[in-house]
Formats: sequence, C-alpha cells, structure tokens
Amino acid sequence: MTNQVTLSEKNMQKVSAHQKVMKVVVQVLLYTFLITMAIIVVFPFYWMIISSLKSETEYRMAVPTLFPKEIIWHNYVEAFTAANLGRLFFNTVLVGIVSTVLSLVITVLSAFAFARLEFKGKNALFAALLATMMIPGELFTITNYITVTKLGWIDSYTVLIVPFLVSIFYIYLLRQNFMQIPNELYLAAKVDGTSDIKYLWKVMIPLSLPTLISITILKMMGAWNSYVWPRLVTSSEDMRLITNGLRDAFTNTTGTANYPVQMAAVTVVSIPLFLVFIFLRKYIMKGVSRSGIKG
Amino acid sequence: MKKKILSLLLIATMLLSVLAMASCGTTAPPSSNDGNETLAEGETADPNANLPNAAGLASYDVPSVGYDGSAVTVVFYHSMGAKLQGVLNTYIEEFNKLYPNITIEHSSMGDYDGVRDQIKTQLTAGQQPNIAYCYPDHVALYNMTKKVIPLDNFINSTIEVTDSEGNKTVLGLTAEQKADFIEGYYKEGAAFDKRGTMYTLPMSKSTEALYYNKTFFEEHDLKVPTTWEEMEQVCADIKAIDPECTPLGYDSEANWFITMCEQYGSPYTSLDETNHFQFDNETNRSFVKMFHDWYKKDYVTTEELNGSYTSGLFTATEGRKCYMVIGSTGGASYQTPPQVDGVSLFETAMATPPQVNPDAPKVISQGPSLCLFESDNPQEVVASWLFMKFLTTDVAFQAEFSMASGYAPVIKSVQENAIYKEWLDSANGFNNMTALSVKLALSQSNAYFVSPAFNGSSVARDQVGILMQDALVCSEADIDAAIAKLFKDAVGKCKFAIA
Amino acid sequence: MVESKHKWKAWLYLSPAIILLLVFTVWPIINTLRMAFLNGYSLSREVGGWTFGFGIENFKMVFNEYSGFKQCLINTLLLTVLTVPISTMLALLIAVCLNSIKPLQRLLQTIFFLPYVTNSIAIGMVFEAMFNIVGFNSSSPSFGIINSVIGLFGVDPINWINESSPYWANITVLVIYIVWNALPFKILILLGGLQSINRQYYDAAKIDSTPRARVFTKITVPLLSPMLAYVVITGFIGGFKEYSSIVGIFGDDMQAAGGKSLDTMVGFIYRALGNQEGIASASALILFAIIFVVTMINLYVSKKKTHY
Repeated sequence: MTNQVTLSEKNMQKVSAHQKVMKVVVQVLLYTFLITMAIIVVFPFYWMIISSLKSETEYRMAVPTLFPKEIIWHNYVEAFTAANLGRLFFNTVLVGIVSTVLSLVITVLSAFAFARLEFKGKNALFAALLATMMIPGELFTITNYITVTKLGWIDSYTVLIVPFLVSIFYIYLLRQNFMQIPNELYLAAKVDGTSDIKYLWKVMIPLSLPTLISITILKMMGAWNSYVWPRLVTSSEDMRLITNGLRDAFTNTTGTANYPVQMAAVTVVSIPLFLVFIFLRKYIMKGVSRSGIKG
Repeated sequence: MKKKILSLLLIATMLLSVLAMASCGTTAPPSSNDGNETLAEGETADPNANLPNAAGLASYDVPSVGYDGSAVTVVFYHSMGAKLQGVLNTYIEEFNKLYPNITIEHSSMGDYDGVRDQIKTQLTAGQQPNIAYCYPDHVALYNMTKKVIPLDNFINSTIEVTDSEGNKTVLGLTAEQKADFIEGYYKEGAAFDKRGTMYTLPMSKSTEALYYNKTFFEEHDLKVPTTWEEMEQVCADIKAIDPECTPLGYDSEANWFITMCEQYGSPYTSLDETNHFQFDNETNRSFVKMFHDWYKKDYVTTEELNGSYTSGLFTATEGRKCYMVIGSTGGASYQTPPQVDGVSLFETAMATPPQVNPDAPKVISQGPSLCLFESDNPQEVVASWLFMKFLTTDVAFQAEFSMASGYAPVIKSVQENAIYKEWLDSANGFNNMTALSVKLALSQSNAYFVSPAFNGSSVARDQVGILMQDALVCSEADIDAAIAKLFKDAVGKCKFAIA
Repeated sequence: MVESKHKWKAWLYLSPAIILLLVFTVWPIINTLRMAFLNGYSLSREVGGWTFGFGIENFKMVFNEYSGFKQCLINTLLLTVLTVPISTMLALLIAVCLNSIKPLQRLLQTIFFLPYVTNSIAIGMVFEAMFNIVGFNSSSPSFGIINSVIGLFGVDPINWINESSPYWANITVLVIYIVWNALPFKILILLGGLQSINRQYYDAAKIDSTPRARVFTKITVPLLSPMLAYVVITGFIGGFKEYSSIVGIFGDDMQAAGGKSLDTMVGFIYRALGNQEGIASASALILFAIIFVVTMINLYVSKKKTHY
C-alpha cells in the first residue's frame, strides 16, 4: 500500500511525498493500535455470546473452548421460557425511562444553579456535595432500606426510581459543560428578557447535548444493571427488574447458576441496549457538530 | 482560596454537628428522627431483652386455637431453579387442597447467599419472610435479631387442626413423623445452642461420596478403599499403572478438613463463646501433614489446586486424568462418563468416602433446611409452620423434589414410594448418576454429622479450606514448623475476621 | 454577579436535588456516623434488643485487631496508583486516535463502547478463564489464553491467579481488568470532549505546520483539561472504592488461591456490613478521610492546570 502511494505521488515535490509517506505510516500505526485494542475490548463480549451457546458440561470444561463444539440454541429457548421476560422488560424500560427523564431534569436545574447563578455558600455546597461521592454507597443501603420501609414504598415503582434520582456525578459533569458556555450569552439573554428556563432550553441544553446524552446512557445502563437494591425492595414478581429476573430464574437444580442459559439471557437483554446505543450515537455526533458550529 | 477555606469549614462543621447528633443518639434515641428509631426504641425499652439467658430460654407461644382457618399469606424465600419451582408449585396446589385459605408466595433469591443477604437486611426493618431456605450459620446470624422462631413448641404441640376435608390432625409432629426423619439431618436443627433448641427442619440434603472409575478398577483388580491407609495404597497402585495421572481429586478442601476432624474425633469448632476455634491441635496437624506428603507424591489434587472442578479430570478423555473423586452427591451428573457415539467410555461407581474407622463412618451433611420467622400475625406463623411441616414430611413431595434436584430426601419413608423406588432402581453409572448418588446418600444416612453453628462459623470453614490448600503445596524445608504456623495463622484470622 | 437579586431562584432550582439528597444521602451519612461511634454496633443486635456504649472502640478495633485492614489499605492504594494513570492515558490515546481517523471511525467507536452493554458476571468469568491454569503443579498443565499468547513470544507461563501465585501477578491481573473496565467510560467522556473542541484551533495549527506532538500538548490537552480532570478525579474516587473487579476474578472472599488477601477497603466494609455495621461504618469514615484528602489535592492541582 505504501508502495502504491509513493508511485502515484512520484511527480510531486519530494517534501510533500515524504509527508504523505509519513501520513500513511501514521495511519497504519493508528489502525493497528485501534484494532488491537478493539479486539481486546470486544473479547469478553464475544465470550458472552459463545458461552451462551455452549452446553453446561462444555462450559465447565477445564480448558475453555474458543468456539462451542456443539451449538446449543436451546439455551435461548430456556432463557425465554424460564423468566417472565416480557414483564421484566416492561418494568426495566419503564423504570429506566422515568428515572432518566426525572434525573435529567433535576441534574440540569442543579447544574444550571451551580454554573450560572451566584448565591451564598455555592462553592461550599458544591464541595460538600462532591464530598458525598467519596463515601461507599454500600453503606447507604441499610439506612435507605429502613427509610423506604417507613415511607411505605416497598414493592412499588417509586422505590425503584426515587432514591437514586440525584447523582452528584452527573451534576458535576454537566456543570463543567455549562461553565464552558460563555457567560456573555446568558447576560445577553437576560438583557433581552429571556427567562432562565427558556435560556436553558434554547441555549444551554442544545450546547451540552453530548453530555446530556452521555448521562442518559449511563443512567439507562444503571437501571438496566442495578441488582442489589431492586431485589431488596421488591418482593412481588410483578415488580422485578431484568437483572433480578435473570439471576434468579436460571439457577440449576443444585442451586448454582446455569451459566450458559444465564449468558443467553444476558445476551438477549444486551441486544436492545446495544441497539439503543447505536441509535443514540448518531445523536451524540449531531450534538457535537451543532455545538461545534455554534460554540 | 477564600472559597476553598470556606468550603472546608462548612464540611468540618457539617461533620461536627453530625458527630454531636451521633453522641446524643447513644444516651437516648433522638426523638427528631421522624420515627426512624422507633423500632430500636421499642426494643430497648424492654429491660430483659438483652439478657444473655433470654436467648437460651427462647420459646414461642403457639396460639391455643392452632390454625383457625383465616386467610393468610405465607412468604417463602428459597434458591430453587425453574425446574424445582415447578415441583414446588404442584405441591402448593396439593397443600391448598387441605388449607385453601393459606396463600403461598414464594420467590427465588438466586443462591443461598442471596437468601441470607436479603433476609438479614429485611429483618432489621421487620420485613422478613415467613419461611426461608437456610444454612446453619445463616440462622445464627438471623438469631441476633431474635426473630427466628424456636420450633420446639410447634413440634411438640398436641393442638388439633382441622383441614378443609374435615380431618383432624395434630399441629405438631407425631412420634412416627419424628422417627421418620433421618436422624443426622434432624439433629442439625438443634446445633445452635447447648440446650438443643430446634430452629430448623431439614428440607433436602446432599453429602460427599467417593466416585471411582469402575471399569479401570476392575481392569486392574484394584480394591475400592474404605480407609485412608487403603486409599494411600490404591493411589500408589494407580500411580504405578498410569504415572501421568493424579489418582484422587477432592473437590472441597474445607469439607476434607472438617470431615477428617470428625473422623478422628478431634476438635474443630465449638459453641463455647470464649473458645470457638479449636482446630489447632496435634491430630489435625498430623493428618494435614500426611496429605501434604500425598500431594507431593502427586496422589491427590483439589478444586483450587487444580484450578477447576476435579470432575473435569475424572471425565477427561485425554491428557491428565484422575480415577477417583470425592465430591458432592449434588453434583453427581458432572461425573457422568464421557460418551463416544453414544457409548460410555467407562462406568462410574460410587462408595462412601474413606474413613478413619470404617465401622463408625462419618460424612458431612450439606443442603438447605427451613427456618421460621416471627410475624405480627400469629396465624401467619401457624400457617407457615403447617406449610413447613408439609414440605418436610409429605412423602410425595419429598420424593419428587429429590428426583428433580438430585438431593436426598430427609425422611426415610420416601424410599417406600413406588415411583421413587423405581427411579432409585434405575440408577446406573452410565447415564443416571443422579439416582446413583441419591441411593448412596440414603445408604450412608447413619453417618451424617454437622458442625456447631454460630455467628462466624462460616469463617472457620473458609479458613481451614485455605489452610488445607497452603499446607498441601507448602515447600518449606521444615514442614512441621510451616504447618504449625499455618494453623496458628488460620486461628488468628478466624478470631478477627469479618464474618 | 449574575442574578444576585434572585437568590431564591438558585435554591428553587436546587430544591429537588437537595430534598432527595437530604433523605437518601445525608441521613444515611448521619446514621453511618452514629454506628461508627457506638462500640461494637450491630444492627441485628440492636433489633434484638442490645445496647451499645458510645466511644471510639470501632476505630481502635479496625486498626489494632483487624490486621487484614492494613493489607486492604495497601491493596487499594496500589491498585489506585497503578490503574488511574494507565487507564487515563490509554483512554486519551484511544480517543485521540479515534478522533484522527476517518474510515472505520464509527465502527470502532461503537466497539469501544461495547463493554457497556456486557454484563459484569460475564466479564469476571471471562477474565478468570483467560488467566486460569488448570493443573499448574502437575506434569501436563493446560493454560489459559493469556499464557498461550505470551508463550508465542517465548515467555514462560506465569502463574497469574492460581494457588501459590505471586502477589505481583495477582495485582497485574487486577490492573488489566480494572483498566479494561474503566476504558469505555473514559473514552466516552474524552471523545465527547475532543469532538467539541473547535476545529479552528487545529486548522490554525495546520497552517503553521505545528508538529503533531506539539498540537497534542499545546492544544488538545489544555482544551481537554476539564474532561481530563473529571476522569482523573472520578478515577481516583472509583479506584479507592474498587471492589467488584476483585470479586469478579477472585470470588466473594477476595482471596487468591492460598488465602493471600486481595481485599480492598470497600470489600472490607462490605463484608463488615454482614453483621458488624459499627466496624463497617468506622472503616468507611477512614476511607472517606483518605479519599477526601486525595480529592482535595486533585482539585487543587486541576484548578491550577485546568483551562475552563
């Protein structure tokens, strides 16, 4: 490939040719590096899929096989029949969407207050909030569990959504983003008599769309993967989320997990998430280009 | 800079004020906590509640009316997979024919630890289920809240209950029912205090068995070992036949250690509050050293040392093999001989694991029991007891559950069940390992033992497992000193371990 | 400055966040403090009717009696110090590379985010299988894929995670796992940051034919500094709270075969929560103090270096 390029550039200036070669070399290096990393990164995903197609005996083999000797599609059948996937999907999507939307509203308002408004104790409050991130969340579980019990929220959608709506992480992330938007824009808007909300909606949100989408993805992922809390606070089958349903449905007779079937189920539930991701990725790009033009 | 100092100050004051509140909380629960503390307040108000003997004299007042037929819901936590839940659902229907007003809500918490963690937290808010799968150390943990119901008053109750068909039965266990339980399993329920208060009833059980390659043994005229001396000889013989192999795989290091203690009659752990961990003694050090020598001669490997279940070696068709495995009867299907074109390459057979004294064999007992929790509604508790009694004493359920799970039933009369008998008779070492293992488990039912259960007993189990691994591979020149140190460290870790 | 007349507005915007935080974050913190200073506190025991004296016994116990705690501290510090720089630099490198290619860019981007949709159970088991050796001490061991790969380069198999494996090997495995785990998030954030950098800066650099390295250090890094600060700070906090990765590979007891503790601070806390909430709370406060100091240093450094 290098050869071809040099040939076609023969009649160009020497310096330029040299630059082109360098460019090609750099590109080759870039791709080699990225593709190697991509393979490393993607391997566990591949593993998840092939494991889902193995028999349990093959899965337990001392030397793991890189490709199933015999493809067991039945694992997927079992995954579909064993768990009440429909209800689990519905609950998870509902909890995911509602908590993401509410969380975004709270995060945007808070980040705006911290980034654009001046009030007494702002920095102190912000620092204090950041400090709470440093405490391991596991510690909160017990106290929060007692709290929601007293509130009578056990086994409801409320208890799955409300306790984790505020994330200091997200507020911090968005505040950083808001602060990059020139203050002059806000002052100008104030002079024009634009309300805060309108300004937020028309200027700040479009400009920070990539961050907001990142937050959306993270939050949805969180809803999708949360395990300990939902199991603790829901008792009826109707309120179960997907991870709980999956973990609990596929134990085999001896009480240990039937991993291939579990992997099949995990693969099945990963697919919608993966599609959502590909779909949202376009919006990330769009958001980035828009902020590029306007900012 | 100013702002930073300010924020630091704010955090400091926040922490301090919180500290002040915390210290208030110790003298009297803060009243401003919107009822968050009422639970604790109510409990501490009882001056006798924290007296140590209160636990020792634990009993439950069974309502004198027995079950009054009222509509109640019983919540049951377990870790059954879909297949076993199917069996359970069938028999819940049977139970409801007798008691139509008792609704059973059951759910799987994934695994045993899942059940424990869920209940442990729920207990603190009074949200616990009515019945749960349990292991002895879980019950010891739950018992700190004093919400596990002692079963003695139920078991001995002579109150009559009437089912929907008008039949009167005694609420407690009849003498026949008590005698029907396999004794070793039943006794496990009384391993929690020195008085022998019953806290659990056995549900389904597994044990350890010696799996061996029968074809290979017959081919080379080897004798199935019944003692550890014989085992050593068989290992040497096998090694002479196939120098590349490791003759024996022992899956669980911890079970191995604990079983050896029991077989030698030497101390392992005790219920004595001041001296729980008694396993550092001469006998135990010497058997550990013996097995260290075996390992060095490549006679034996374990799951951790092998890096995978030893069943993988047992069923291997190429490379390194082993010809004997000591493992759980619950995992029997994994010892199924490999097949080529539908023909098994060898036959697996099962025997009681080697003993110190084959006349008084000892094998470990594992598998879930059931325990009962307190509830505000006494009728709920009685209904739960009725269901618990049903699950543990109903022959048809015990039979079907055993066939579906590969675990042994806990009552003897199951073996007289025609379908079950037929299933047991179909046992073979080619494709029905499960039945074979249950058969063996039932045949050694006089040999079961359980270790004392206290809060932290699972730590001892973990530590002796690690001790065993370390000792086997140890390559110090002064092996006695090294093993002595491993024992000493293990006891130290038990004492200050996070349980 | 802006809006000083309408201070109430700021508080209005903040109110939903603050109310929720008071109930679900501040109150648990207060409760944690209470538990930390009640000697030998156990929630189950409290429910069972025990009472506890006020004091600092729990802190003393953590330091003096639980010898394992110091090992947890060392493990945690080591893992954090190793993983944060490695994962940040690798993520930055990948993000910059991704940002400077055209074909395959979208595909590769998608692939780098894939780990987000894999399940943690799957990943832990994959890593274990990759490093595992079956029958290490026997005559014919079989090696996991990692040892097979390094074997191609003539390196002898390394006992990564099995019985008698050296501490450094365990830590190496954990570092690889943690870095792998941290990459997608960091790439996501950094790539987002890179793509919002105005092209004009680069165009200007191109006209001046500024060398690549110089463009990187003089334009990319400074303009990316808020995002970098973010991933470094959260990386440190996350590092100190490391837990699930160790469980993923070494199991619930967080011990390499042979009982070498690879436990971390959070692992210690998590297990203490079993029934020794007093000990758990005290160690959580110690962890908090450490993270607090480190974060303050981080913020101080990033304030000096960050360009907003």
